[in-house]
Order: sequence, then C-alpha cells, then structure tokens
Amino acid sequence: MSSNVLTTDSMSKPRRVRVLRAPTFSPLSLVGNLRTLWQYRDLLLTLTMHRIKVRYKQSVLGIAWAILQPLSLMLIYTLIFSFIAKVPTGDTPYAIFAYAALLPWTYFATSVGNATNSLVSHSELVTKVYFPREILPLSYVIAALCDFLIASSVMAGLMIHYHVSVTINVLYCVPIILVLTLFIGATTLILSATQVRFRDIGVAVPLLLQLWMFATPVVYPLSAVPERFRALYVLNPMVGTIENFRRTVLQGLAPDFYTLGLSAAVSVVLLLVAYVYFKHVEATVADLV
Amino acid sequence: MIDLKLNHVSKRYRLRREVEGDASQHVLLRKLQSLRRRSEEFWAVRDVTFEVERGEALGIIGHNGAGKSTILKLLSNITAPTTGEITINGRLSALIEVGSGFHPELTGRENIFLNGSILGMRRREIAKKFDSIVDFAGVRQFIDTPVKRYSSGMYVRLGFSIAAHLDPDILLLDEVLAVGDAAFQAKCLRRITELKEAGTTIVFISHDLGAVERLCDRVVLMRRGEIAASGETRAVIAEYQRASADLNAPEQKNEKEALSDRKAKINAVGFYDAEGHELVAAETGGPLIARINYLAHEAVEDAVFELFFYTGNRELLCHLSTEFDARRLDLSAGAGIAEFSCAELGLKPVIYYADATIKQRGALDDLDWQRNCATLRVDPGKMGRGQFYMPHEWRVTQRGGRGERISETSVVNLLDALDEDRATVEIKPS
Repeated sequence: MSSNVLTTDSMSKPRRVRVLRAPTFSPLSLVGNLRTLWQYRDLLLTLTMHRIKVRYKQSVLGIAWAILQPLSLMLIYTLIFSFIAKVPTGDTPYAIFAYAALLPWTYFATSVGNATNSLVSHSELVTKVYFPREILPLSYVIAALCDFLIASSVMAGLMIHYHVSVTINVLYCVPIILVLTLFIGATTLILSATQVRFRDIGVAVPLLLQLWMFATPVVYPLSAVPERFRALYVLNPMVGTIENFRRTVLQGLAPDFYTLGLSAAVSVVLLLVAYVYFKHVEATVADLV
Repeated sequence: MIDLKLNHVSKRYRLRREVEGDASQHVLLRKLQSLRRRSEEFWAVRDVTFEVERGEALGIIGHNGAGKSTILKLLSNITAPTTGEITINGRLSALIEVGSGFHPELTGRENIFLNGSILGMRRREIAKKFDSIVDFAGVRQFIDTPVKRYSSGMYVRLGFSIAAHLDPDILLLDEVLAVGDAAFQAKCLRRITELKEAGTTIVFISHDLGAVERLCDRVVLMRRGEIAASGETRAVIAEYQRASADLNAPEQKNEKEALSDRKAKINAVGFYDAEGHELVAAETGGPLIARINYLAHEAVEDAVFELFFYTGNRELLCHLSTEFDARRLDLSAGAGIAEFSCAELGLKPVIYYADATIKQRGALDDLDWQRNCATLRVDPGKMGRGQFYMPHEWRVTQRGGRGERISETSVVNLLDALDEDRATVEIKPS
C-alpha cells in the first residue's frame, strides 16, 4: 500500500458558523439560503451538464432531440391550425408563428415536466447528503434553457426561409427570457416541493401543461382572445412572455410593456413565495421522500 | 473551542396511519379524512444537548432506534430539528454510504466531479485534488470508463477516496467501516486517524464498539431518543453492555418462578482470557474461557451445563454444552464452577448475550435457566469478512522448489494491517 499523505490545513482556514434550527419565515434566513446556494453554484453547473450529458448519452439522435421536439410540434400544429382549422395569424406564415411560441413554450414544458419529480427521483441523494435542494429542480431548468438555445438556431433558419427581417427590438428577447426563467423557476420550485407530499402532482402535470398551453397564445394569437376576458387572461405570466417573444422576434416591434411588466411582477412575487415555501418543505423533505 | 453544539435538540416524526374507517364511505372521503387526521407523533430525538470540542472524537452508540441515525441526519442538515438548535463551527462533511450519488452512465472522471460537487467541493478544488483522488482509489486505468463497468470494490474505493479528500473541519462517520474488505477498511481507518491527528473534529456513529473504543475520546450513549450516559469511552461502553443485558431480560422473573423446585441454580457467568483475567472484550480467533458459577442445593446426578450465545436480536449463534461428552457429571451439594474453554473463538465480532442453563440429562425442564446473564463483546481479531472464524492453518507448495515453507501465520489481521501496512508473508523461490 503506497503512502498517500493528504495535506490537511484545517487549522488555518477561516470557518463559517452555521446554526441549524426549525425553518422560520424570516428575511434573514432567505439571505442565508441564497448565500448557501451561491456556495454550491458549482454543483448547479455540474448537475446541469450532467443532465445534458445523460439525456443524450445513449440516444442515437443525441442533441438533435432538443430541436426535434419543438419542430415536430410545429409541424403538427401547422397541419391542424393552418390547413384544417384556419387560425388568423395576419401576414405571418403559420409555421413560423407557431414555432416562435413553441420555442419558449417547450422551454417551460420541458422544465416543468422534468423538474417536478426531481426531489422524489433523487431520494437516494436527498436522504444522504445535504446540498441546497433547489439545485435539483433548477438544474433541469437550466438544462432546458440550453435546449432552448439550441432550438433557437432553427428559428433563425425559419426566419431566413420566410424572409423575416430582424430589428434591434429582437434584443428584448433577453429580458423576456429572463422573466420566463424566473416564472419557470417559481413553478418548478412549487411543483417539485408539493410532489414530495402529494404524488398526484406528478400525474397531473402532463394534463396541466396541456390545459396551460391552450390558456397561452401558442397556437393562436393574443388578439384572438375576446376583449372582456383579456384582463384576467394576461395574469398568466406565460401570456406576456410568449406573446412578446413572438412580437419582438417576428414583427420586430418593441414589447407590449403592460403585459410584459405584469408577467414580470407576477413572476417575481411568485418566485419569492415559491422559494420560501420550497425552503420550508426542504427542512423535512428527507423524512418524506 | 467548541466545534459542534446541540442545544436541547428534539426531532419529531409523524407516523401516518392508514385509517381503517367505514368501508361504506367513499374511498375519496376516507382519503380526505386521513389527510385531516393528526397522525401519530414519535420523538426520534428528545431534548439532546451535547458539545464536541475542536479536535475531539466523539462516539455515539445505542441500539437500533435509539436515535443515532436521526442525530446523524440532523448534524448533516439532511433534516431540520423540530425544536432546539445545532451550532456548527466550520465545514462539516459526512462520510456516509460511500458512492451514493454516482451515476452509472458517467465515467469515473465525470463522477468524481459530480460526486465531489454533491459533497460540497468546488470544481477548482476537485481539479486540484483529482490525481490524489484517483491514486488513492487506485482506478487510474479505468478513469474514463463508465462506472457501471467498475467492480464493486473499485466503486467503493472511488467513493471513499472522494469523500476522504473533503478536508472537513468536522467529520461525521457512519458505519462506513462496515463496507469493503479488510485492507480497504484498514485504509479507511488510517485516513480517519490521519484526519484526527491533523486536528479534525470527529463524530462517529457506530455499532462497532471496538472501533468506537479505538477512535473516540468520549462517548454518548443514546436510549429511546435521549442521552442515557455520556463520558469517558470505556465507562460508557461498559454501561451500554450492562444496559443491553438488562434490556434483553424482561421476562426473567416469571421464568424463575416457573422453575420453583430446583435443585441447583446458576449464580453468575463470566468470561476470561487464557491467563484467567476477566475480559473486557474477546477477539475472534483468540482464546476464551467461560465460567458458570453454580450452587447445588442437593446432589445432582448426570448434570448438564449449557451456554448459549445470542445476538442483540435474539438470534442463537452458538451453543456450548457438556451434554455431548460421554463423561458423566454428578454434582454434589455445594457451590462450584463449570468452565468451558475455547482455544480459538469462532464467533464473529459483535456483542453477544449469553444464557446459561443447568439440567439433568434427558430431563425436559431445566433446573435453572438464566437469560442474558452475561454480555460478551467480541472484537475483530483474526477475522476480516464472513459469518464466523474457522481455525485453520495453511501452507504453500511451490513447484520445482527444493523445500516447502509452512507458515503459522494465516489471516490478515485488520489491526496489524493498520499498524504496519499489511502482514506480509515472504516466499522465497529457491
């Protein structure tokens, strides 16, 4: 046995004092939690890369799946809503109209679909090692964001094909995707934490996503929604993000700041509530999974 | 300097019972009721307070369900206490179930980064220690192979190696030493000893009293979620062994009354080493002498003494008896000692509870039957793995050689391996 002398300089390192107690709803603990999350940022990165690698490692098509998913949905919806039922999309071809919305929608649906079960499916880790548990759902969200970026290349191809001209307003995509990411983060935190206790959530999610998609202007434009329902309709943060994503990318217009602002406000508030709720569940998650 | 402090820590679990309910009710209605109903409460840990000083090694012992593993989960922040608070000064790492968190599809290299990050290491830190981790585990050749192709030994070694490179201020140890072969266990123990000498604070939660005694400066004994005793290692372990014997003998009183018209009784059972000194712990493969002190009220003809060894969950592992001997044993009235002596103890290293009986050959009832009248702790001596030790010799015959070398040395002793790398046997080709 060769001698493996490991250097241990535990005496000189600055030490951090932590106090563990029953979870409380205090702003101070929120700051502490964010600090711990920051310390574990490398785990978030590693797990995200792990998600991407594992997903495509033993599949033939590999990373192409990231493109195939929204693309095939686009083809189906184009067939249904453009040839069979005629959905008015102005002068935008339906294919690109649908794809521009399916792109952010797939980001949302993939994240929610994968992250909901993340705490339960990692029970062997959750019951043995401590790390901020929000890393599990969030790693799925970031992996889905990568898929989104890859699938965006098809969007560029479609735009060239349909001769859609790009304006400077396309840069609004960045804050729109940021708002969308905040909302996805909030949704996945709530669903994954609730799934620990009520496994019904996992079963309900596919149905929920289906309904949600039809409550969001993905296959139809926002203008198709009757005026009197619209005030309520736009409270769904997916409306403000998806409609504005399409608007800035395809029409080259500045976003509608009312709907986008509303989406941002709802997302931020929801994310705060979701994080506090998640951390509360986290304290006993190992006893339940 | 206090590194770890538990201040009146309690942990409550809620046990949710399936509600029997009225079968005529709708199934959904019953489900809803069961959700509303306050489930049964169970305090796994109740009002536990202790401190661990910097550089100290604290052992936590107790029976299954005494709250040991809950304490471990609380300390490692896997679950939060219901009341009370835990103050941790420094980086705490738990060395529990090495290899949890490996992904079979990923290569050894990828898993080192994944597992290291899960355990709280920064990527830069892992990269820096990468070579050392690989060498310690001895898997360099397979580092770019998916770990699903690893042997279980390689898997465990890699898992331990990552965990061993955490450089924690406070190290939590579970039953990690119970995995792997003797050489690997020795390596684990050596690394832990190294960390301890470097000033790492250690909390060791284990059933292996021998290991606790070797490693720990102080021991806390848990019973039903509370601290039953704490203090100097040997004293608390002795207390635990005594208490275990008491705990296992609830029906002793009734049993005694049933044997009312007995001619003889057993007073005590004790264990001694070859020199006749009372034993704290025997060793597998080592000598053992067991003595039964009896008192015969009148002469007993054709008497038989028996000694039974049970594990903690009343599994009978071994039985010593005078019955199988052709010699006839007649006892005259008065006190005496029956002695069993074993040259090489075959029992595996755990704690045993002994029953002693005295009866007459062929009789249905025992004259006396003392349950749990003694506790025997067996430490790993000549035993690495398996269920029992078999006394054996060995020899190596080399073809073409002029002479044969026969050695008495047989088993790689864990403790020896710890002290001096490994017991090496030299075979010289002639």
